[in-house]
Amino acid sequence: MITGLTEYSESLKAAKKNSEDRKQKTELRSDLFSAVWSLFGKEIIMSESVGLFSRQIALIAVVLVLHTYIGLHIIRRTLIFSDLVLDQLAAFGALVGVALHIAYGSPLSYLLAMSAVLFGSLLLALINPKNREIPREAVIGILYALALVISLLLTDKLPGGDIYVEKTLTGYLSWVSWPLVIVTIIVYIALLLFHYKLRHKFIALAENPQTLKNEKLWDFLLFTTQGIITVLIVPIAGVLLAYAFLMIPAAIATMFTRKWAGAVVLGWSIGFVACLIGLGSSYFFNFPYGPSLVLSLGAFFIGALVLRSLRYRKGYE
Amino acid sequence: MSQLLEMLSLPLVACIMMGGILGYSGIHVLKREVIFIDIALAQIAAVGSIIAHLAFEAEEGALLSYVFSFSCVLSIAMFYALVRRRVIQISIEAVIGISYAIAAAAALFLIGLAPGHVHVEEMLAGSLLWIQPTDVIWAFIAFSAIGACFYIFQRPLSTISQNYQDAVTEGVRVVWWDFLFYGLMGIVITIAVRAAGVVVVFAFLIIPATVSALFASRWAARLLIAWTVATISSIAGLLFAYYLDFSVGPAITLFLGSALVIATLLSRLHKAGSIKVTR
Repeated sequence: MITGLTEYSESLKAAKKNSEDRKQKTELRSDLFSAVWSLFGKEIIMSESVGLFSRQIALIAVVLVLHTYIGLHIIRRTLIFSDLVLDQLAAFGALVGVALHIAYGSPLSYLLAMSAVLFGSLLLALINPKNREIPREAVIGILYALALVISLLLTDKLPGGDIYVEKTLTGYLSWVSWPLVIVTIIVYIALLLFHYKLRHKFIALAENPQTLKNEKLWDFLLFTTQGIITVLIVPIAGVLLAYAFLMIPAAIATMFTRKWAGAVVLGWSIGFVACLIGLGSSYFFNFPYGPSLVLSLGAFFIGALVLRSLRYRKGYE
Repeated sequence: MSQLLEMLSLPLVACIMMGGILGYSGIHVLKREVIFIDIALAQIAAVGSIIAHLAFEAEEGALLSYVFSFSCVLSIAMFYALVRRRVIQISIEAVIGISYAIAAAAALFLIGLAPGHVHVEEMLAGSLLWIQPTDVIWAFIAFSAIGACFYIFQRPLSTISQNYQDAVTEGVRVVWWDFLFYGLMGIVITIAVRAAGVVVVFAFLIIPATVSALFASRWAARLLIAWTVATISSIAGLLFAYYLDFSVGPAITLFLGSALVIATLLSRLHKAGSIKVTR
């Protein structure tokens, strides 16, 4: 995700050359194309992009509810790295699939990713250092580094492996189709019902875990939920956007209210508005959609920080 | 044997230097619970060098590119210091983690303005094996200067790391000292990541400090343990990578990780043993 500049400048040159070649070809085609375009092309493409836009909006609206709620848990308990651990393990599962000649994105590859994620949730739930000098976040960070490293060592021995490392970082929100939206929505609603039903347990886990009998079990269920939504959303949105969906609306809400329901409503509303702005600007100015969405969410986050720091003595209202 | 020495001596020197400065700052990082700091600052430095490239066509490693990276890192250091003081509702770790996502999106966005293919893997894993003697000398000068700063300002920095609220009530000027701390961290991380990649730097920062916390609580003892762990893991990782033909960075990280696992088991055994003795 961090980008080497030399490769970048080389790729710039390649892209420039590529676009020159393409320009020549398009000039040849453009006359014919413009004739067809003026007849009916515009209408079809317009309605298609409107369709895609509404699919993306529908997906974001549903996804944000659960992400905001899970994000609240993660932010309040400072387990920020857990999302990257699960992302990386999902990617590792898919990479193992590639090594075993299982196609990327096939059901079996999803299954491998899911088992890696379940293993990760188990580790996250079980490892909880009692030493006060070692914060839990540090252990989670180390798990992330190790998950990343085994992925890198695996790709070392895999022909073309580096391509897959990149594939897992960016997503394909532009490929969103209705069946995918429907599957995602059904799973999300099931998870939402589950969390609504057991909300007292999970909130106790965040606020006073001593009162819970099986703290590790509830931790495991929380991380498993996070893992399931990771496996579903990362191929579509990419690691970065999935992480931003989880963290930013929840972080904004946490700054302004201590109530759980209020925070979900506040986080969802701000997150949704920010996503609309990001998605809209990516359409109108032709910006890359993923980074636009994250930057739009980020702008709201910085705005909230500034607002909060201006009146920092007042605490919660 | 001589070929082995020739190949690995420079990377080993670089590793020992990084282990030295990162092992010390890692203890601060653990005490402050700002684990994300390495990844976030590295990403922000990368944004700086991309801006330098887009605006002035500065190559990576050019002076201008470093100037831009350092300015970005110092501005964000001020930002963290201010937010830590004035926003009490969310942890600074969350703010740092989110700033990483925003910076990564900004980098992708800037590159998206001029589309191209980017090698993610190399930046993550680094290319420690091909480090040049001049890089090592520059890093040595920079790390010594920063180490001296850490030594001179040891007292206020560790007071804040130990307990932020106490430092505030004692009247320590937390925002300025925090700015100094994050600024120094930023410079160390920018230099180290260019040489070794994000993952290795992260491992050198967090793992030796964690191992040392298992066995000691005094600064001097923790430092000694952290430095020993870093050095032994570097040697083992370099040899492993050399003989079995793996990337150096991931191999060293793997050995640091194994050192932590072994240390955890040892400390468990040690505790179990001492309980038996007291009984």
